[in-house]
Amino acid sequence: MTSPQPRPPDVTVVVIVYNDAARIETAVRSVLNQSLRSHEVIVCDDHSTDGTQAVVERLVAEHPDVVRYIRLEANSGHCGAPRNRGVAAARGRFIMFLDSDDTLDQHACRNMVSMAEQSHADMVIGRCVRHDVATGKETSWMPWLVQRKVVYESLHDQPELLYDVLSTNKLYRHDFLTRENLVFLEDRLYEDNLFSAHAYLAAKKIAIIPQRIYTWNIERKAANLSITRRAADIRNITDRIIVTRKIDDLLTKHDAGDLRLQKDIRFIENDLRVHLARLGTLPEENQRALVDAARPYLETLQPEAFLQAKPLPAMAAYLARQGDYHGVATVHDYMVGKPFQPHLTADLVVHDGRVYWSDRHLDDEVGRAVLDVTELGLQDRPLSKLRLGSRIDSVHRDGDSVTIAGSFVNPLGRITVESAPKAQLVFAERRSKRRVFKARAQLVVDEQRVGWTVTFEPEKLLRPVGLIDPNYSVRLHLAVGTDSADLALFAEDEVTEALRLPARPKLTRLTADLLQGYRTDSGNVALRLDADGSAAKLGTAAISGVRNTSIGSRAWERAAELQSSLRQRRNKRATKLSWYENVFLKMPVKKGTVVFESHMGKQFSDSPRAIYEEMERQGIKFTPIWVYATHPTGFPSDAKLVKRNSWAYLQALGQAEFWIDNQGFPHDLRKRPETTYIQTWHGSAFKKMGFDEATIKAQTEQSQQRLQRAIDRFDVFLVRSEHDVRTLTQGMRVGAELLRVGYPRNDALVNGGNEAEVAKLRKSLGLTDGRKVVLYAPTFRPEEVNRKSGLELPFDLDEFVHRFGDDAVLLVRPHYLVSFALPPAYGHSVRNVANVHDVTPLMQISDALITDYSSLMFDYSLLNRPMIFHVPDYDDYVGSSRGSYFDLGSIAPGPLTRTSEDLIAALSDLDGNAEAYAGKRREFVAQYGEFDTGQAAKAVVDRFFRSGARRG
Amino acid sequence: MAETRDIFIICNSVNELGGLTQWVHDISRLFTARGHRVRLIGVEPATDYRDFGSDLPYPTFTLHEDHLPRRRKATGAALLNPGRSLMLRKRQQIFEGGVRRLNELLRTAESPGAVVIASQVWAGEWVAAADTTGMQVIGMSHESFEACRNSSRYNRVLKFYGGMDIHLSLTDADADAWARAGMSNVGAMPNPLMTVPKTLPTLDEKTVVTLRRLSHDKGIDMLIEAWAQVGPQHPDWRLKIFGAGPDEQALRTQARSLGLDDTALFQGKTSDIDGALSSASVYALPSREEGFPIAVMEAMAYGLPTVAFDCAPGIRELIDDEVSGGLVVTPGNVSGFAIGLNRLIEDRELRVRLGSAGRESVQRFSPDSIVDRWESLFALLDR
Repeated sequence: MTSPQPRPPDVTVVVIVYNDAARIETAVRSVLNQSLRSHEVIVCDDHSTDGTQAVVERLVAEHPDVVRYIRLEANSGHCGAPRNRGVAAARGRFIMFLDSDDTLDQHACRNMVSMAEQSHADMVIGRCVRHDVATGKETSWMPWLVQRKVVYESLHDQPELLYDVLSTNKLYRHDFLTRENLVFLEDRLYEDNLFSAHAYLAAKKIAIIPQRIYTWNIERKAANLSITRRAADIRNITDRIIVTRKIDDLLTKHDAGDLRLQKDIRFIENDLRVHLARLGTLPEENQRALVDAARPYLETLQPEAFLQAKPLPAMAAYLARQGDYHGVATVHDYMVGKPFQPHLTADLVVHDGRVYWSDRHLDDEVGRAVLDVTELGLQDRPLSKLRLGSRIDSVHRDGDSVTIAGSFVNPLGRITVESAPKAQLVFAERRSKRRVFKARAQLVVDEQRVGWTVTFEPEKLLRPVGLIDPNYSVRLHLAVGTDSADLALFAEDEVTEALRLPARPKLTRLTADLLQGYRTDSGNVALRLDADGSAAKLGTAAISGVRNTSIGSRAWERAAELQSSLRQRRNKRATKLSWYENVFLKMPVKKGTVVFESHMGKQFSDSPRAIYEEMERQGIKFTPIWVYATHPTGFPSDAKLVKRNSWAYLQALGQAEFWIDNQGFPHDLRKRPETTYIQTWHGSAFKKMGFDEATIKAQTEQSQQRLQRAIDRFDVFLVRSEHDVRTLTQGMRVGAELLRVGYPRNDALVNGGNEAEVAKLRKSLGLTDGRKVVLYAPTFRPEEVNRKSGLELPFDLDEFVHRFGDDAVLLVRPHYLVSFALPPAYGHSVRNVANVHDVTPLMQISDALITDYSSLMFDYSLLNRPMIFHVPDYDDYVGSSRGSYFDLGSIAPGPLTRTSEDLIAALSDLDGNAEAYAGKRREFVAQYGEFDTGQAAKAVVDRFFRSGARRG
Repeated sequence: MAETRDIFIICNSVNELGGLTQWVHDISRLFTARGHRVRLIGVEPATDYRDFGSDLPYPTFTLHEDHLPRRRKATGAALLNPGRSLMLRKRQQIFEGGVRRLNELLRTAESPGAVVIASQVWAGEWVAAADTTGMQVIGMSHESFEACRNSSRYNRVLKFYGGMDIHLSLTDADADAWARAGMSNVGAMPNPLMTVPKTLPTLDEKTVVTLRRLSHDKGIDMLIEAWAQVGPQHPDWRLKIFGAGPDEQALRTQARSLGLDDTALFQGKTSDIDGALSSASVYALPSREEGFPIAVMEAMAYGLPTVAFDCAPGIRELIDDEVSGGLVVTPGNVSGFAIGLNRLIEDRELRVRLGSAGRESVQRFSPDSIVDRWESLFALLDR
């Protein structure tokens, strides 16, 4: 018996449960522990048949004034009915919802109620955090919606709220629910969507707080998947569409037709995407049935929704509308998210100079717009960034040898017989990658597809250790010229099953005698050690027998835990740093080792490369080590290559006699006194640098000191002019000896001498006719780095092609951290040279330069060729806080253009430019490049590396 | 009349020189005036002593008679040094003694609903270790989220304030940043405006003023650099820098190398804030890090327009750029700062407009409204 409370509680939390005896108590306790004590809990049980009732009744007995239990007379199968029952019984002024497998943050109620009272909002929204139970990893749900405390007058102020369809991370005024008759749908899934859309539309005010409110526990491999996780079946998508249609009716009813587009886009980007995910892995009849279930509704969407939604989901939705389920599958193969392995399976086409996802539907205007994927840049990205993956078509066994055959798409026919592609199948131990076995593949290339076959004798090739290396990955390594990629492999179940490779473990065949194909969590094919013969079966049975004893399993777990924690600790920066400090720096210096790094390992280029090549030319005995950032492609094969920040890298730096780089080795790595650091730097300064930059001026003392310490590691610093001495080295507070020898990379600009490389570059860019070459190389703008569209040209490319296309070729060179996508339509007269490592030969082959504020201007002026400064954002850029060391307008050795028309006009008179600015170019070189006399590399090598030379 | 409470305010030291201790005494006085029973508790004696008067209307206590041994960060072999572990054990004993004394003080609470406020992170360690059962425990970070994140205090805030009833920042924007960083027990509480100007400036004096400690975080070097761009254009105007600090010599050298007369620039320390502010027409706040700067509140109370770097949300909470209180400039943009000073120097109208709008807007932080906010917070924590 409980007596009625004199005052209603602030909050009623309605907890719904169905057969969840294991977790319901945790959920209820997360409410009982609320810092706001004025609350009640109503547990609504959808007629559980496990021990749920007993657990809840115990909680009721413990807290009779706070916890109530309502049991539905029959199972409803959905979340709607129990929530409605809970609301009907609620006494609180505010209502929140909680699912039995989730929890509330300790301060959820207080934060929500306090915001509701301050703002007088009908509903308050807080942060929901998805918690992966297996890994403990947490991610915010739609974090951009809950960045800061804010109050919206209505949904129109923030239509993106429609993306957050959960009903749980929210607080509702009880009288608001009553007033608007807000109830959950009882016979469908996705009742949340409809309820929250209705609430958003009806609410007088909606308040947001950034605090964490709700923990949504995700159990990926639970046998009993919660109701909303069982996607993929037809009923789900049908329910989703029924609910979505009801939302459309609500929008009309609430006079919010203008939000329909927003909602349609959300439907395309989120809802439909979930239902059609991994479509390609389903049997064909299921694919068709799913797509057909979505079609009628998709046909009611406005074309604008397909055009405005994110490109990949929009393609999937459009293709579904067209009933092209094969096309839908290819889009999902490509955009699938973690943990799955994406891969390109679409037959891309070029049509009218643009790249399209498929050759179908291009007669439809909307189709052309939606399927245009030119901006993805697949036409000139390196192969490794195309998400290539291959099918395994068949596996044949013939005596001791096995033949595996497969095929993959040839992206836009980029792989040609002439480019001499090579491939091999690579088996690698999955965890340490220490054991690797390779088998050469035969390739058959046609314009659409590339086929491959590998024939080998598994027992000879595959020699795993046994026991300690249970899993092997298998990939196809493809190399085309200097470009390469590792393709994940995919196969149907029968083929994966047939992938049985006899193996001879080094330990003994008692541990295993077979590598068996299986499908990983990521969806691609891998191999695991297995037992086939009777000896192996007996052996593995014995081993698992030991492992199944309690001591054995504990020992096994401990060993596995130890191994994984060691691996984690090994990869920590602090561990690496401590080894660097205490071990590598204390090991002896290796005489003659030189570590070269250019632009943080992104390129084999610039002055470090020029010095390296000069040393080779002079036949100096030394041990070169080159650093690469992500991929060793394009780096010299005769040098030792180390990956930036790897263990090998730290050891190389710790023991090197010389460091040579043009930007900066990681700031936290101390340099030992015995090592000489030659800092070549990478450009003279127009923009303010170092401690002259506003962002660095504003830094704390510690940050500034860290930077200063990094700069103090330099032993010598190369300069091109006294201008560098006055500006760059002052701004950076360089205390090192200044070497007034110019930049080694610029020797070639003064002397030539790398004709072979230049000729090869011309050929690879197809610059074989007599047309002029114009290089466009703008400066770095931070906002472009993570922008999907990358570099956007500040002039009219059509106009350029139209006016000069027959006489000139434009090379577009974005900064090395920025991407650029060039439509194939311009292929005749424009080239994307983003992937050329070194910019120097690019300058050499161009007859004129267009730039803005890039330090390239200083180097290019050495060539004494026409230059144009295209600066539409001059006032903004120079006038802003960045600031500059001189007035570009009065000193530039070429015209400044502000509009596309001005630029075109300037380009039409390059000969006049050459003549008119000859004097200014000479002055410019004298002022800013006086030491660049073509002897820089030699001077550096003479000083530090010739025998008997004085050491720095 | 709301109910009165026992309020324990814990700070590093009750008579340390500096803005925080000033705030501690201000708020104690205001709480006492509303009938609350305040005990002000310092952890250890002051390093830089300042006399806050002997007839305080609330009692003060100090937990430790001597300074605590400082913990130094050690790595590698130094971690194994036996002297270090001995010192740490000793320190732990002393610490526990302090916590016991704090517990004794907390037991003197006369009625339920007592409030314990840790006004500084270091002092928060004692509060977190004390027995505060049945009391409201409040932790405060008197600096911006950004400034805290750049310091060693960040992890200690997460550790010691995470379990408290609420962690108060100075502004909503800072509280939001803490919430994004994963703390859910956060809220905001601005500082009260305690200044009542005796004399108002006429805004005709040709003087730009700042009252600052001469240290890197206060950014005087950037002010001097900006003044080198402004001063020569306005030889009749003067920049006066009141204050002392570790960087004084370096700053004087910098000023001389820029061709400025350092004797005219540096005025030394002053206790006559009224005199300094009432005889100026522009206030400069070139700080790199701030919380909710009392200096700007004071300048606003005097109707002085301020030029400030946008170094913390507290700046924009006070100054509405171009509307009231002054002008706000991107951090580190020294030329922009110079342009701001120039505009105020050349435009008396602008000075008057921004100054008087600021004077009005800063009344939001009047002692009465701030104490009202505190009391409704206490009520919320009781629910």
